[in-house]
Amino acid sequence: MNTPGTLRGTNPASLRADAEDQASRLPALLARAEHLAGAVLLGAHGRRRAGMGDDFWQYRPAQIGDSRRMIDHRRSARGDQEFVREREWQIAQSVMLWVDQGASMRFASDAGLPQKADRARLLGLALSILLLRGGERVGLTGTALPPRRGNPQILRLAEMFCQDDATDYSPPEHRAMIPHARAVFISDFMGNLDGVQTALTKAADRGVRGVIYHVLDPSEEAFPFTGRTIFESVGGTISHETLKANDLKTRYLERLAERKSELQQLCALTGWQYGLHHTDASPQSALLWLYGALDARAGVAA
Amino acid sequence: MTVLGGIGFTAPWLLFALLALPILWLILRAVPPAPIRRRFPGVALLLGLSDDETVSDRTPWWLLLLRMLAVAAIILGLAGPVLNPEVDQASGDGPLLIVLDGTWAGATRWPEQTAAIEAQLTRAGRAERPVGFLALSRPDAPAFQTADVWRSRLAGFTPAPWQPSAENIAKAAEIMRDLPAFDTLWFSDALEYEGRDTILDTLQSRGSVEVYQTAANVLAIAPAKYEDAVVKLSVARAASGLEREVVIRAEGRDPAGNARILATSVATFDASETTATTELSLPSELRARITGFTIAGQRSAGAVSLVDDALRRREVALIGSDSDREGLQLLSPLHYIEQALAPTADLIDGSITDVLPANPDVIVLADVATLADAEAEPLLEWIAQGGMLVRFAGPRIAASDVSRFDEDPLMPVRLRAGGRSVGGAMSWGEPKSLAPFRDTSPFFGLGVPDDVVVSAQVVAQPDPTLADRVIASLSDGTPLVTRKVVGQGQIVLFHVTATAEWSTLPLSGLFVEMLERLAVSSTAASPEPGDLAGTTWTPQRVMDGYGVLSDAGNLPGVDGADLLSSAAGPALQPGIYSSAERRLARNVFGTDATLTPASWPSNIPVRGLAVAPEQPVAGWLLSLSILLLLVDVVASLALSGRLLQRSNATLLKVLAVPFISLALPADAQTEADDFALAATADVSLAHVITGNPGVDEIAAAGLQGLSDILFFRTSIEPAPATAVDLETDELAFFPILYWPITPDQPRPSSEAYTKLNEYLRSGGLILFDTRDADTASYGASSPNGAKLRDIAAPLDIPPLEPLPSDHVLTRTFYLLQDFPGRYNSREVWIEAAPPNAEKIEGMPFRNLNDGVTPVVIGGNDWAAAWATRSDGAPLLPIGRGYAGDRQRELANRFGVNLIMHVLTGNYKSDQVHVPALLDRLGQ
Repeated sequence: MNTPGTLRGTNPASLRADAEDQASRLPALLARAEHLAGAVLLGAHGRRRAGMGDDFWQYRPAQIGDSRRMIDHRRSARGDQEFVREREWQIAQSVMLWVDQGASMRFASDAGLPQKADRARLLGLALSILLLRGGERVGLTGTALPPRRGNPQILRLAEMFCQDDATDYSPPEHRAMIPHARAVFISDFMGNLDGVQTALTKAADRGVRGVIYHVLDPSEEAFPFTGRTIFESVGGTISHETLKANDLKTRYLERLAERKSELQQLCALTGWQYGLHHTDASPQSALLWLYGALDARAGVAA
Repeated sequence: MTVLGGIGFTAPWLLFALLALPILWLILRAVPPAPIRRRFPGVALLLGLSDDETVSDRTPWWLLLLRMLAVAAIILGLAGPVLNPEVDQASGDGPLLIVLDGTWAGATRWPEQTAAIEAQLTRAGRAERPVGFLALSRPDAPAFQTADVWRSRLAGFTPAPWQPSAENIAKAAEIMRDLPAFDTLWFSDALEYEGRDTILDTLQSRGSVEVYQTAANVLAIAPAKYEDAVVKLSVARAASGLEREVVIRAEGRDPAGNARILATSVATFDASETTATTELSLPSELRARITGFTIAGQRSAGAVSLVDDALRRREVALIGSDSDREGLQLLSPLHYIEQALAPTADLIDGSITDVLPANPDVIVLADVATLADAEAEPLLEWIAQGGMLVRFAGPRIAASDVSRFDEDPLMPVRLRAGGRSVGGAMSWGEPKSLAPFRDTSPFFGLGVPDDVVVSAQVVAQPDPTLADRVIASLSDGTPLVTRKVVGQGQIVLFHVTATAEWSTLPLSGLFVEMLERLAVSSTAASPEPGDLAGTTWTPQRVMDGYGVLSDAGNLPGVDGADLLSSAAGPALQPGIYSSAERRLARNVFGTDATLTPASWPSNIPVRGLAVAPEQPVAGWLLSLSILLLLVDVVASLALSGRLLQRSNATLLKVLAVPFISLALPADAQTEADDFALAATADVSLAHVITGNPGVDEIAAAGLQGLSDILFFRTSIEPAPATAVDLETDELAFFPILYWPITPDQPRPSSEAYTKLNEYLRSGGLILFDTRDADTASYGASSPNGAKLRDIAAPLDIPPLEPLPSDHVLTRTFYLLQDFPGRYNSREVWIEAAPPNAEKIEGMPFRNLNDGVTPVVIGGNDWAAAWATRSDGAPLLPIGRGYAGDRQRELANRFGVNLIMHVLTGNYKSDQVHVPALLDRLGQ
């Protein structure tokens, strides 16, 4: 954790204040994410075949080789035949998330809009909650939080999501990807696309498929600026001065469209899905789309 | 001070800074507007994009011009510009004496004169000359002080309501002779007066003299005259000139006692005339209320003419003994009185009871002996409140027993039986003449003609009080006129007839004068000085130089002759003077006075007052520059695209709010009118706003549903239901108020309770609904019940009882025994029946109280049962299945019965008596 908060945390006086500040964000994010996730009704995504699991699948006549203790006596007592109760084979999928924590995400063009980072974390956590409730193992890409299952993982995820990254445009974390797992990358993808390309190629090599979710602020789509302006990145590392901002609009929009199509091409090549979300749109629909995208791929994967 | 083109500059060298403006232009021109710094993550996509235009952005020329103007205004402002710099007047040194006429003639232009004096003081202060002041109307030895001292005291100088008198002149000349040499500035009021030349000579002998006087003409108004039934007014002006109209206002009090302008009239000065006249025809009531005439637009004592009794026409009621007798006019007992009073008084005929309500000033009873009690009592009351009763004797009084043994309350003295007659055919002696009037008599000073003789009279009984009451007597000492004071009024008895039968008094001029002195009539013309000789007049209210009346305080009295003839001065201030009952106005400008403009020798420089004072304009210029800079701020923001950003837009909205509220005048009166119109055009059911939106909504929907039911089933066709705010809305328009109780509703204010109690007393009905009949019965301590008790405590509610089965509510439209709403509780409370209500044998119902019960209290949540949606379907479910529908139907019927009860009262109760009535008719 290399956020300013933790650096200052070495000072005992501010440690507690920082801790409380951090902690105060956790329940809020959690609650919102739970709330969001609560709106999606899950069906168990069973494998439609007998196997390991909790849910009843079928009774089948006992065969030779079944151990005696596998016989279901309640069913068998109704007749002369002995039955074995089979449960549905339920497998857990590993889903790895990468939510961009970079400085460029901490931007909202209007006080009424959430920051991109906020929205991205909310979606990421809500999706995690949904997946965890569905029995999947959810974790982060990289080594910080490997996929696990169960409710405690929600808390761990929330904690991880609350950390800010000081770098302006952080590249996707692509280390320690579990083969044949699923991955979700949520970012504004404003930085260098090389990192994304590397990550996706690597993922494709390992049979990891997933979703690229592009979160943008409305002003980044509209570019409603005029006059002499100095544009600065949120981290302050990059700046660009123009005398007539409105002249740049068309060229900026061209570049943005180009970037989107590049991402889509990358996705097409690697079998990923590409989604676009604006922070002024409803997070509910975004969550549904995300979940559907993952679920649909899950069906294909099965 | 340097003067450039009519404008003086205190710091002219600063103007060189204007040369720097072109340089500033070049510098500012090259500087583009400051950039905005924006955080924008998309900057990564912008990298490498260059601007199309390589030319650097330049400030637009108009913005530059704006800034140049602002800078130029600052430079000019700091250079200390002064408008109207005074450089053309000769200045001397040494003491300066400022001489003021200080009379009423200058009062109208006093502020201008003060401003001119102040300008001179400023000048004298710059030259460091000591200044002294001398007002000729109130001469005092001047103290020479610095101009600044005088400037602070300048506001204390006021004009006097008189012209300088000979004494004033002499004193002023003496004062000036004692002073060391000085220069003089004479602020004249432009009117000539005696001794002005003397003063001028004296001043010229002491130093140089400059005269300042206004160019405006002096106007004055002469006292009004009442002739030929019109008020004649004349105004004078000092200098003749062009044709000019002046408006004359008659000021007085309206019947409520407030000062106001009663009438206006326009007088026109013909060209080259110095006087103008006009006439004003007014009803006598209005005329009597006039307190003075003023010239509009003038503010001086000369433009005010106070009015005394001269315009007042007294109302005199004449009552003879035999008004129905068709005798000869000359024999009428009232003939001579009518002749004497007609020119100066308004006469009223009629009986005492008819004329008393008109509240006349005087009632004359000519030979009326006795009065009925019904007449005497109000007459006495009228006298005690200031009325004057004048009685004349005659054969009837002589023959009657009135005031014979006991003094009649309406007689000043006791009378002997029969009276006496002297000098007649059957008696000895000569007819008696009148004795001279004593000095305590109101007639004192009137001459007694020799030909006035009395041949018969009624005679007063000698009483201890008689001597005090006699105000005129015969030469032998027999009382002829007696007077008694009753309360604020008086009773006067002439011991002779009002005709020439008993004496020649009514034939003489003395009779008229006596009536005048008694203030029975009022003088038509101004009194002559000789008439007032020997009388003392005390000032009541005096005028200042502006013509404003104030209380005279304890100024000393003035001799009557002086009052009219002497010149006004501190000892004789213009104003209203009074002596006994009479009032006299001493005006500044007399009837025959004229105004003469002052003329000055050619060697005296005469200037107008309209000296444009030096006016520093630095402040204006600096303000202008600030304004320009503000415009520059807005323009710069607009240029850089920052003006209409979201944050600024909010600010603009906030700034615009005052203008928007100005543009939308809220007319509370119209709103109240609209409310009243909507509520009264048709019957409208109303519910009290509780503040709980859910409850209010259901109440409104419930009353609307009930209104619809009434519309469909009965002849009541209500207008849409109304929500009533107890604090602001008028309740009287509504026959019924539905008041759902919520535990958290606010308690009404005391004003609202007053309204509610008035509403209950005037026949309104309030249906209280605690809406908790399913959980609590009335009286149990549910929160709603407790709240109801709290709310209803200050209300004027009679004793209550549960609704008895024979109450009229059970049969006003439907026959009902249950009153369910959403809940079906039988506990509905209404005004208790009177304790003596007994059931009569053979009658199905008791004869209960008349009228409508002021309150109905229950908890069945009726509104919920009545409530319908806009499509007519029930809003809330009631009960279950068919039973629920039945319950809703019964609730609706209860509503119909209730409204019927409210609107028709106990009409259905009266129907009970129909069999008995029919029975009686059959017999």
